Amino acid sequence: MKTIEFKQLDETLYYKQLANGLDVYILPKKGFSKTFVTFTTKYGSIDRTFAPLGETEPITVPDGIAHFLEHKMFEKEDGDVFQKFSEVGAQANAYTSFTRTAYLFSATDHLYKSTETLLNFVQEPYFTEETVNKEKGIIGQEITMYDDTPDWRLYFGAIENMYHQHPVKIDIAGTIESIDGITAEHLYTCYNTFYHPSNMLLFVIGAVDPVEMMTFIEEDQNKKQFPEPTEITRLFDEEPTTVAIKERVLHMDVQKPKVYVGLKAKETSLSGEQMLKHELAVQIGLECLFGRAAQFYTDIYENGLIDESYAYDFSLEKGYGFALIGSDTEKPEQLVQAIKDKLKEATQSNLFTQDDVERIKRKKIGFFLRALNSIEFIANQFTRYEFNDMNLFDVVPALEQLTVADVTEAFKTIQGEDQQTVFTVLPVSERAAQ
Amino acid sequence: MFLTTQLAKGVSLHIRQTAQFKTVNFSVKWRTQLTEKGASERTVLSNVLQHSNARFATSAAYRSYLDDLFGTVLYFDTTKRGEEHTVLMNAETVNDNYLAHDSVLNEVIGLLHDAIFKPNFEHNVFIKAIVEREKEMVIQRIQSIFDDKSRFAQKRIMEILRPNHPASISANGTIDAIKAISPESLTAAYEDMLNQDAIDIYVVGDIDVEQMTAKIKEALPFIDREVKKTERNQEVPENIKGYTKETQEMKQGKLHIGYQTPVVFGDEDFHKMQIFNGIFGGYAHSKIFMNVRERESLAYYASSSYAAQYGLLFVVSGIEPAKEAKAREVIAEQLVALQNGEITDLELAQTKAMLINQLKEALDSARGQIEIFDQYKELKDPFTLEKWSARWQAVTKEDVQQMAQQMKLEATYFLCGKED
Repeated sequence: MKTIEFKQLDETLYYKQLANGLDVYILPKKGFSKTFVTFTTKYGSIDRTFAPLGETEPITVPDGIAHFLEHKMFEKEDGDVFQKFSEVGAQANAYTSFTRTAYLFSATDHLYKSTETLLNFVQEPYFTEETVNKEKGIIGQEITMYDDTPDWRLYFGAIENMYHQHPVKIDIAGTIESIDGITAEHLYTCYNTFYHPSNMLLFVIGAVDPVEMMTFIEEDQNKKQFPEPTEITRLFDEEPTTVAIKERVLHMDVQKPKVYVGLKAKETSLSGEQMLKHELAVQIGLECLFGRAAQFYTDIYENGLIDESYAYDFSLEKGYGFALIGSDTEKPEQLVQAIKDKLKEATQSNLFTQDDVERIKRKKIGFFLRALNSIEFIANQFTRYEFNDMNLFDVVPALEQLTVADVTEAFKTIQGEDQQTVFTVLPVSERAAQ
Repeated sequence: MFLTTQLAKGVSLHIRQTAQFKTVNFSVKWRTQLTEKGASERTVLSNVLQHSNARFATSAAYRSYLDDLFGTVLYFDTTKRGEEHTVLMNAETVNDNYLAHDSVLNEVIGLLHDAIFKPNFEHNVFIKAIVEREKEMVIQRIQSIFDDKSRFAQKRIMEILRPNHPASISANGTIDAIKAISPESLTAAYEDMLNQDAIDIYVVGDIDVEQMTAKIKEALPFIDREVKKTERNQEVPENIKGYTKETQEMKQGKLHIGYQTPVVFGDEDFHKMQIFNGIFGGYAHSKIFMNVRERESLAYYASSSYAAQYGLLFVVSGIEPAKEAKAREVIAEQLVALQNGEITDLELAQTKAMLINQLKEALDSARGQIEIFDQYKELKDPFTLEKWSARWQAVTKEDVQQMAQQMKLEATYFLCGKED
């Protein structure tokens, strides 16, 4: 077992790669009474075309299958896994994102029992046609709920606009039609391909003895049989750097319009330190131009172009990435114009000043230190960083080294005019008026 | 867990020294009787105080300064509890120990003073342009509830169940009352809040208690005040509200069912009601979740929640509109089962374990420590984890059955798409 110390942060991380390929990380936190454990596979909604385990011919599976699989992992021959966690007062949950599926629990007691439950239920699949079909009604209602959520439609509408091919544009849960085609056999195929320990990471954080826990996990894994690890082949079509659709409108039963300007990222091939640096630089650039301390914000606030929902964000993974800037607004066209004008200005002159960059670096360091109080944040983010060969605890040193030139360079990769798209949700009443 | 000292009459300071967190948390809470007018004024006031102050007269200058203090967070908000309205100011800053060359704690304490006592005035009142803009911000916040169908449905059933009652008054106030606010009325509300409200100040972090007490005393010089006890509206309406259906352009049906219970927060039976709610619909092992979702596949979410301050309990679920009758039937069956005492040892044990675990987990965050202490401090019996655990552990099946038998269905609200 390796130990990695982060002196300034007063944290020690324990790591071991087990014989079956599973990466295990343990971070004890003093003073906490709970422990949080996440078991994550590098498998999300974008992994829809791949060569199944032991085969060479790639297949494309129905949309929404990673999420469907996540739901079905909880049901076993002897009933629902949630019950086992509840018995010892542990709270279990799971989520599926574009790139990951995570299973997790938190508990203040009976830590080993729940850890065992977690390892067992994720590593013992049980799917039948009957249980698969029963789940379709439940997930159907989950999809319908998101369909009625304007902010979700806005978010996905903007992503759909940006991408020609990449499956990030497909809703994580799929559609009612696509999940209807899912069978138990599909689930086994996906499970066998993506749930091998060598494609997974286990993270334990909180009130935990690292040596004892590592031994416990290792003994558990040594008892189980797994095939030899193999390289997973995922296939993605070529994706242009320009957006697929420049502008689109959706009508919903909302009080006032909602709008996002989306900026499609050109640079999506990085990993490790370079990716960390690039991602932080783009975030700082966005905040320089669009943050609450910027002149731009004061202007749009005073002109009544935004309300408290105003937000901007940058997401980056291997193969895709985008920034989103937007708000609920009575004046969507004016807000879009203001954002576009600011982006144009940024191409003509350097708007990133030393003062702004230094200030935002300090802010981000503070945010990071605050976030270290949250063991949920650490567990979820650590895994995301690790899957991209980055280390969460390198954020502070990486921030400290960033320069104005880094920000300027990084921002260039998202500011092209043909990388911009606009998605607007308008009230239904405005449909009649148009 | 907290050390309490009185800084002035009606003003208490609660400090907790702990090395658990990498930050220091501050919270100031002002409390008064909840009314629509008061809630409206105080919500706009929160926004205006957060926008700027005499030292940082523009929002940009204020935000820049907070960024420089390693992203210190400082915000105002409003909430309610029972018949009380609360304005809160929360601040969180990095503990100096984790900064290589900087010290920010004293700066932040100075800022607490300016944020509260140095408002951005022009001719002794708040600046009109800022007041108008922030009124608009709060109005838009209230309107945005319409876009969130679950929140909208919950708001509607509250209005149906308890019209003109603290239960249905939003902590943000109402659009009409907000429109009536002027810089003068807002300034009067500010002075009233500063000088008349009951005040609780919280500090949690790795700090020196004595030093911090002295610093807070100096930074927040609140004067003595006579705190009026808020009046509790004990009236429970007799008439049953029945069934209401409303439509919007949407796909899913939002089913919200309201029940009344004679047991409210702080009552002898309060902890029994918490167990009842857990078994009924509070968790993934509950009867509602297991039957509405897992057995019948009717919903993705189906749960109950206990609004202990108002003696109300809600069941909510998102369903296919055509299956409304079936969902209501299955939910009703679960209550009947509990009333008949159909409760397994497992259900009881799971619920107790979950409640205890949840409470322990909440205590793992500084905010959680503040909120739990704040909530329970008014009870006669001082709060400890051990005491509450023991109370839950002692609850029997018969207790739960008795709680179930006291439940009265009061109203059902269904929000769904237009049939065309």
